[in-house]
Amino acid sequence: MTAETAVNFEALEAQAAAIMGVFGRSGYERVAPSILQPANVYLDAIGEELRSRTYVFTDPDGEELCLRPDLTVPSCRLYLERVPKADKRASYCYNGPAFRFQPGGGDRRRPREFRQAGLESFHATDREKTEVEVLGLVVEAVRAAGLKGFKLRFGDLGLFNGLIAAIDLPSRWRDRLARSFWRPDAFLAELKAMCGGGLRIPKGVPEELVRAIDPADPVAAEDLVARHLEAGGMPIIGTRSLREITTHLVELAADARAEPLPASAAALIEAYIGITAPPRAAGARISDILSGSGVDLSDALEHYRRRLELMGQIGVELGKAEFSAEYGRGFEYYTGFVFEIELPDLGRGGHIAGGGRYDRLVSQVGGDHDVPAVGAAIHTERLLAAIEGLT
Amino acid sequence: MMAHRITLALPSKGRLMERSVEIFRQAGLTIEKNGHERGYLGTIREMPEVDIAFMSASEIAFSLRTGRIHMGITGEDLVREYGPQTESHVVLLRPLGFGRADVVVAVPGCWIDVNEMADLENIAGDFGREHGRPMRVATKYMNLTRRFFAERGVSRYRIVESLGATEGTPAAGSAEIVVDITSTGATLEANHLKVLADGLILSSQACLFASRGADWPPPACAVRNDLIGRLATGH
Repeated sequence: MTAETAVNFEALEAQAAAIMGVFGRSGYERVAPSILQPANVYLDAIGEELRSRTYVFTDPDGEELCLRPDLTVPSCRLYLERVPKADKRASYCYNGPAFRFQPGGGDRRRPREFRQAGLESFHATDREKTEVEVLGLVVEAVRAAGLKGFKLRFGDLGLFNGLIAAIDLPSRWRDRLARSFWRPDAFLAELKAMCGGGLRIPKGVPEELVRAIDPADPVAAEDLVARHLEAGGMPIIGTRSLREITTHLVELAADARAEPLPASAAALIEAYIGITAPPRAAGARISDILSGSGVDLSDALEHYRRRLELMGQIGVELGKAEFSAEYGRGFEYYTGFVFEIELPDLGRGGHIAGGGRYDRLVSQVGGDHDVPAVGAAIHTERLLAAIEGLT
Repeated sequence: MMAHRITLALPSKGRLMERSVEIFRQAGLTIEKNGHERGYLGTIREMPEVDIAFMSASEIAFSLRTGRIHMGITGEDLVREYGPQTESHVVLLRPLGFGRADVVVAVPGCWIDVNEMADLENIAGDFGREHGRPMRVATKYMNLTRRFFAERGVSRYRIVESLGATEGTPAAGSAEIVVDITSTGATLEANHLKVLADGLILSSQACLFASRGADWPPPACAVRNDLIGRLATGH
């Protein structure tokens, strides 16, 4: 059996040279982050979904390591090694192997061992300019490799976060909406619950206790909870403390007393989520649904428009692209602009490249503060398969 | 291996072994061990075409998947745990009515604010901020856990593999949540844990399985059908 990385070696090398040429000429420094990564840091950052597809093992010293399933997290760790205070700009590019378990074994479009070519920009302060630069370079790179007829898809988690920040609702509800954004069904259920006379006390939670809690007095609440546990013969075991349990119960008490979300606000959120259109038209639609609502999103919209303008300047064909308010669901570490290059005809194997803004990842892998960061990666085996399929 | 012979694996110890042998006895079939009492090979006196292999319950589940054995008796929990595409590798021939136990999600009883799977996702954010890491789920059922949690929309957790005394991990501080197998719930309760209201992952029992991956020439199929027929009438 041929090793998976040895398949199409020469073709992939030639393609990589074209891609890396584009990145290198634009001032992105070529780096080679470690293939072996500490499992804990890595897996805590990416979530259980990707973790279940990550090759994890224990080395003879007992250290838990993994084969990197992508190069974005390793690049963040490399940045922190080189810039420990995370206070300077850095622009990296790479082409190297990544590893993901594929149920039932890998195939050509979804190999277990594949090469990612990508770039990451840290600590660049002009947000839209950096986003468009990264997008532009990835588009240029796949074109240089020979890809034609692809589709660009955009999303913008900044708009969504701006929208729920502008609507008057308890901050905890805001968190709940942001969190459930990734799961459409749960999101609609949350919205409905918030409209229906506030959030009900969840099933199974002792209702009398929650009603007795005064959200303004957490100290008394802790005492109430402690007595409730003692009366029920429930010792406090494990790492989650009495204070943490109480804090959550206090929040539930506050939820139960809060005013419901106005139906008009829920309708606004639903209307926004439903938008899928070419990017300029989508911007106009967003303005439309906001007008007269009293919700001011002008800052986020201004960023959105400026980004489109910059894209136009570098020749991105916006008329053929698609903005979807929902797009971005499913990639949990992104925090703002997200994009994808796909060949719609290829189904699941059609996702050729993607990226976006991930301002929280550097702190998640060990930095002591968030760092503005934008990156993108190309699945080079899929790119090659797509190009060969075209010719 | 001769074409008309099949290998049937039975649990090698404990109540699962005793009950398996009993099922055969009720069907008029006598399981005999080759050589000494602790041997790992045997035969069925009335069906000489069947080789018996005594193996651990999890090894039986694994061997069914790989096709190293034709048939086997083991827990459904273990067969489901091995791989997402159980049905394409293994056929459940019949449930045997013993070895009943549930694979469940349990949390400390003092978590009076957490009673359903959705509540786990609701406390995950605060927990992560407070402890600087996600909640940990101790289990030996890594695949069942991942599938179940994903279906319920719970994503912010980490699995820590636990191969024994899983129910003690929350009190010991090495995990917050457990996914464990329980028949009465008494062990969980003794460790101050409660099962979530919608935390039943699988109601398991011992079953007779056949492997799709094993070699099945017509004579082997005939032996299999004969065996299934005898077990059905005796049961």
